[in-house]
Amino acid sequence: MQLARKAILVVLGLIWLIPIYLMVINAAKLSSDYGNATVWIPTDLSGLFQNFADALDRGRIARGLTSTFIYAIVSPLVAVIVGAMAGFAIVALKVKRAFMWFVIIFSATVFPIQMVLMPLFIGYVEVGIFDTRFGMILIYTVISVPFSAFVMRNFFSGIAHQVYEAAALDGASAFQTFFRIYLPMSKSALFAVFILQATFIWNDLLLGLSLSQDQDVRPVMTTLAAMQTTYGGSTMPVVLAGGLLVSLPTIVLFLFTQRYFTQGLALGQY
Amino acid sequence: MSIETATPRRQRFSRAQQERVTATAFLAPALILCGLLLYAPFLYTSYLSLTEYNGLGDPEFVGLEKFGQLFQDANILTSMLNTFMWVVGTLVLPVGLGLMIAVLAHGLRGSFWFRLPFLLPYAISGIAVGVIFAFILQTDGALTQAMELFHLPFAESRWLLDWPLNTFVMIMAATWQGAGVNALLFGVGLQSIPKEPLEAARVDGATGWRLFKNVTWPMLAPMTTVVVGLSIVGSLKTFDIVWGMTKGGPGRVSETLAITMYKASFMMNDYGLGAAVALLLTIVTVTASLLYLRRQLAPAKEF
Repeated sequence: MQLARKAILVVLGLIWLIPIYLMVINAAKLSSDYGNATVWIPTDLSGLFQNFADALDRGRIARGLTSTFIYAIVSPLVAVIVGAMAGFAIVALKVKRAFMWFVIIFSATVFPIQMVLMPLFIGYVEVGIFDTRFGMILIYTVISVPFSAFVMRNFFSGIAHQVYEAAALDGASAFQTFFRIYLPMSKSALFAVFILQATFIWNDLLLGLSLSQDQDVRPVMTTLAAMQTTYGGSTMPVVLAGGLLVSLPTIVLFLFTQRYFTQGLALGQY
Repeated sequence: MSIETATPRRQRFSRAQQERVTATAFLAPALILCGLLLYAPFLYTSYLSLTEYNGLGDPEFVGLEKFGQLFQDANILTSMLNTFMWVVGTLVLPVGLGLMIAVLAHGLRGSFWFRLPFLLPYAISGIAVGVIFAFILQTDGALTQAMELFHLPFAESRWLLDWPLNTFVMIMAATWQGAGVNALLFGVGLQSIPKEPLEAARVDGATGWRLFKNVTWPMLAPMTTVVVGLSIVGSLKTFDIVWGMTKGGPGRVSETLAITMYKASFMMNDYGLGAAVALLLTIVTVTASLLYLRRQLAPAKEF
């Protein structure tokens, strides 16, 4: 019985790895070696770095990568603090009408992002932050706040309120209690939220398409999408190399922090 | 509590007041950000859906005309049908397979390694998944080559060019990406099932399928609700994979509502129509969200 289960999982797992196999072997082919008839047959990996270089440079992945790195680090960092502050106000400070505020913040993730795209575009142009890195950081932060507030509120609910009362008794202000006691106690939850949101932002396409144009502002997934359509500029192996290149950071992050992914998913049921 | 009785009345009042100010200060950034960049745009889109507007001049109020247009435009009707196919397909494939993988891997030694191949694609972006599968499914591409090698029928299918085949294969691509995370969530659900009822059922002679159907499945229900809710909501918003594989084409046959909204607003400059599509999508999504949202908000009743 156990053996049968393992056998099914292994077979299915191998099928699941086929697309990655095809991607890697063909991303490593020089365009002279690439052809439909030999698409399943690997060559040596010598072409891989050549194709990476082509994708980075001529495919402009490098410029997108810089922006995306900034977005995927700064925005979740700000969002997780802003979200934790809201969670703290709701759970520990027992702000009036706490549940209502909580629902208002959380519900901001319920509707699809399509519902805000056009006004954001119009507003961004109006205010002069369309096609700027600041504008992108801002929207990625805002998009991440509700989930962050949701998870942190759930997490803080698990901290006994006596902790807060004891700190207040010792004369600690709310700010001190938040930064010196609650945040350090929640490191793993904060990290889980950060990783989930960083991955989400790293992989975003739609906001990048809608709110940016310049190669130095556009996030990397937008660049990849553009690369794919301009077949004149990039050969299939180079496009695949680009796809592989932009996927590596999130795959590595995911492999090394899987525990936090699971925790974040469980805390947010998301 | 003891501190309050010990503090003089006047001071206690000021402390309570001070706490309220502090609490507001902690809450304000999240509320202001969400209000300005999510709720205000939400309201403006609702308004735009009642107007004719191309970005120049002022929006002109036209009532429900744009919503009428939604149900007359053949392209948008196809888009609705495709979106429906995405919702149903996602419920059958990634959710069903995710459950199967979770059940098969549950309790196995080294279950992490057995689940790993399914989890890897989850970290890959929708557009990169699109790049991989557009490559595999291109005319005379890797899939066709493999099928010809084994002399399988339909090897010559135009995977991405014919409707509804293109929507179907894109759902397969989404399955490749999404089954693993469903397996992960179902795995968490399986782990939280208490051992006693399972043992009791085993003592009573239940095994295999009957054990699963009568004990495991009912006890997994809370997690199933979450996974099903997330899948419906997620599939309604399908954009990236389609953008990466067909851009909604050829023509407009493989569009989803999310793609239709983007094209109407940003490529055809019909802001009113784009807003109407967005609002329709929102109504359906929010209705579907209520499925699992009720559960998510349930523990908060203590307030």
